Amino acid sequence: MTPAGSNVGLTRATFSVFSKELRAEFRSFELLTSTIVFVLIVVFVFSFAFSPTHEDTRRFGAGFIWIALLFAGSLMLQPSFSRERPNDTLGAMVLAPIDPFAIIAGKMLANFFFLVLVEAVLLPAFSVLYDVSLLPVIGPLAGVMFLGTFGIAVVGTVFAAISAQARMRELLLPLLLLPALVPVLIASAGATAGLLADPPDLPRTWIFVLIGFDVVFLTAAWLFGGYLLEE
Amino acid sequence: MMNHFGSVVAAYMIIWGFLMFYQFTVARRVSTLHDQIEALKESLERGQRK
Amino acid sequence: MSADAKSSAGGLAAATLAVYALVCVAIYGALIWAPTEKTMGFLQRIFYFHVSSEMVGLFAFSLAFIGNIVFLTRRKLQWDWLAVASVEVGLIFSTMGTVAGSIWAKPAWGVWWVWDERLTSAFVMCVLYTSYLLLRRLVDNPERRAVISAVFGAFAFLDVPLVYFSIWWWRTQHPGPMILTGKLAPAMMPMFQLSILALTALMVLMIQQRYKLEKLRHNFEELRNESEYIQQRGAS
Repeated sequence: MTPAGSNVGLTRATFSVFSKELRAEFRSFELLTSTIVFVLIVVFVFSFAFSPTHEDTRRFGAGFIWIALLFAGSLMLQPSFSRERPNDTLGAMVLAPIDPFAIIAGKMLANFFFLVLVEAVLLPAFSVLYDVSLLPVIGPLAGVMFLGTFGIAVVGTVFAAISAQARMRELLLPLLLLPALVPVLIASAGATAGLLADPPDLPRTWIFVLIGFDVVFLTAAWLFGGYLLEE
Repeated sequence: MMNHFGSVVAAYMIIWGFLMFYQFTVARRVSTLHDQIEALKESLERGQRK
Repeated sequence: MSADAKSSAGGLAAATLAVYALVCVAIYGALIWAPTEKTMGFLQRIFYFHVSSEMVGLFAFSLAFIGNIVFLTRRKLQWDWLAVASVEVGLIFSTMGTVAGSIWAKPAWGVWWVWDERLTSAFVMCVLYTSYLLLRRLVDNPERRAVISAVFGAFAFLDVPLVYFSIWWWRTQHPGPMILTGKLAPAMMPMFQLSILALTALMVLMIQQRYKLEKLRHNFEELRNESEYIQQRGAS
């Protein structure tokens, strides 16, 4: 998978792309602020639509969290490739003597990082607005959030590269992404619901599903992602 | 449970009806494309003769 | 029409008739010959189509995956045509199988649908492959369309084993595995095997027809581009 003449290691190249993505976003914070506001709006809207009691929140709160995150992700991930189009900066990166997968991996890591920042706002807001204490289970919850968010970032980044090359890309990405992320939604919501229950419980099946999903799709991204960067 | 005879027959009719309809539409599109290709080939040959 | 083309068309017509005859025998066998099941009675006869159709759908998606991978390595558009033909036919068989299952479920379970792992995975698979076909309509350049849909198709296929193995992994409302565990009554096995054979033959025929359509579309586009080029050259 490494092109002939490549003289920059995969890790170093990935980190370069990752830091470029962070620098680009931290110049303006446009994407992060919009996504955070959007995810808070989704949390508010759920409360108006369902008027959940405390018991309802324990049962359905996990689903609220992950649906909000999926919706936010499917909007937030779209610019990761489409904003490279105006000045063809993606073409310039592809010409660099690096493994093409480094570009995808760097963007995956950046998207994962941004989603974690969104969760850092979402979870406290959810905890306060729905009166659910997350601190007693914060360790296992962080683990579940990590695995689920990683799956969203991996698949979302690849599908963002796909949709960037098609028409109606803003509508296409959620259309492609949400069905593919159903296993993540089921497993993450299942694991989170277990942690929110009284007493808290973390079913191992869902953790294995999430780990399996992440490994399989990261491998698929490594095998096939480079083809999406061809001209 | 012979009262479900109608469900079974309806299921088979709906499903096979759709399968036959799909094959019919594909065959019709193939036939249309054949005609369009022949027409294009003729117009190309006429253009080349000129 | 040349002699070769005539004999090829004749062979195809004979094969088509043979497949339709086999399908008619399979339908007759499922509705008339097969023994009546003790608990579900006549309703159980939907099973011969439902299970066969879902299995044939999975075969077709597997064929599409092969087409996607070989295209990415060889870059011959014929493999892309095979992939899209297989996806479309697979989607039809999977959807029809799910419809049949639903018609069975209403009298058997009292509901048209349940969100258990088996049915959910099958639904997700159908949605993913519908997205595959939609994606292809939104990319104009044929080579880019083939590459992008091949990558997406590879990802979509990763859901296919989940569909199949979910029936083994989780306790579910869907009837458990019967065929490979030997729980199917021996008297029913020949009709089931006949249904699979008939639907597989029909799948091959339908993929062949759909592949031909894709090939003709490609030829038409090439001819049209050539025609436009000649017209522009003539105008200038």
